Amino acid sequence: MRQHLIELVLFSTYAELRAERSRSYLGLIWWVVDPLMQFGVWWLLMDVILHTAGPGYLPSLLIGLTLWQWMKSCMIHGGYAIWSNLNLVRQVNLPPLVFPIVAMLSDTVKFLYILAVLLVILWCSGYPPSLAYLSLLPLFVVAFLLSAGIGFVIAALVPLLPDLRFVIEQVLNVVMYLSGVVFLLSNVPSPLRDILALNPIAVIMDAARGILMQGLWPNWVGLTKAALISLVACAIGYWVVARLAPRYPKLAT
Amino acid sequence: MTNEVLVELNNVGVAFSAQRRLGAGNRFWALEDVSVTLRRGERLGVIGRNGAGKSTLLRVIAGILTPDRGTVRRGPVSCQLLSLALGFTAHLSGRDNAVLSGLMLGLRRREIMQRLAAIHEFSELGDFFDQPIAAYSSGMMMRLAFSVAIQVEPDVLLIDEVLAVGDAEFQEKSGAALRARMGEGHTVVLVSHDEKQIAALCDRVLWVEHGKSVLEGARDTVFEAYHRDLHLVGATA
Repeated sequence: MRQHLIELVLFSTYAELRAERSRSYLGLIWWVVDPLMQFGVWWLLMDVILHTAGPGYLPSLLIGLTLWQWMKSCMIHGGYAIWSNLNLVRQVNLPPLVFPIVAMLSDTVKFLYILAVLLVILWCSGYPPSLAYLSLLPLFVVAFLLSAGIGFVIAALVPLLPDLRFVIEQVLNVVMYLSGVVFLLSNVPSPLRDILALNPIAVIMDAARGILMQGLWPNWVGLTKAALISLVACAIGYWVVARLAPRYPKLAT
Repeated sequence: MTNEVLVELNNVGVAFSAQRRLGAGNRFWALEDVSVTLRRGERLGVIGRNGAGKSTLLRVIAGILTPDRGTVRRGPVSCQLLSLALGFTAHLSGRDNAVLSGLMLGLRRREIMQRLAAIHEFSELGDFFDQPIAAYSSGMMMRLAFSVAIQVEPDVLLIDEVLAVGDAEFQEKSGAALRARMGEGHTVVLVSHDEKQIAALCDRVLWVEHGKSVLEGARDTVFEAYHRDLHLVGATA
């Protein structure tokens, strides 16, 4: 049973990526161009218009946006996945978490492509690879688990409260501003900085910038705390989905 | 047929909410009180008027719906509702959709790979098999869907009305394939409006009315009682 589910998840992920690639004219290229365009908007605003970008801001912004884009799309696509597959939920006996996991895995594959482009840009801009790159793997695992946990909770609720969709994107925008995605935590005044540093997403952003730009190992205590919060989020998400699962096949689309 | 009980429903009821809400809103009972026992090798037909709860019953046996009252006891068996075009994605080829749909229907990947040639042949799609199904006509789509679905081999096969699809020729072929599958000694539950079909394919019949099981037993006994109820005894004799 478990092996069958793994096969189903992997093939569905492949199918989703393949279908998405062929849905648009430029296909795969959009996966990379889309975040670069977003980067362009922020660069225009913060550097060209407001002149607030200090040294090292642009690569920091690029790293922040790349990671956040991945985490956000896992939360949103994963969060809508049960709701958008209700017609399948009504016809086949599958654990509902299959659908968010497929959405999150396909977003993760796309992220890996974007990450490759990001690394090339960083290397060409004078930020060479270092031994600290080894810590990227645990960092990404924590980032994935945190997004998955939040995505599972959203996924559990959206089928019953579809109106949540109108709020979630705005809430995630606020989360982005509070997580040091487009600014550096070190630029925030002291008491506020300590509060913002409790946010696991801010910890992940900070660690990623340290690794990729300065070759610094992450703050393991902070990362462990973020990992624990992520695991708790996953457990809550799993529990809520399991609790509400009997109601999904009864819902009309 | 052995006496091994595969699935047993006792006084099962399933309620649906009239409105989409987090809390329990107004509810109506699609199934109120159904009891049925399914043994290995049995071919059970389910009859009843429109809205009697037949399809809901199949989804309970399949494990898709959890009853709100009563109990379901299921042995360590797989129960699969025969659904057509499950998980079909427009931009994928017929081949990829066959694999995806097969996985959704409970087949392992290697089992589907072994059967891909048979699916390809049965579907009569030729070179279209490797084209995106967005380019298919609805008839071609149904041929592919049926060709995949007929490959599933659960312990209990649940069929809801879909006995034949496509044009007249393919209808005959798909109907024959399904009848052959049902005749292979599998355990089957068949819901159909077509009494002739149930009479030809099932040994036992469950009659459901207004969400309640009225009678379960040998085919002829149940049909007789059902017709008496419909005042049709004279007409069909």
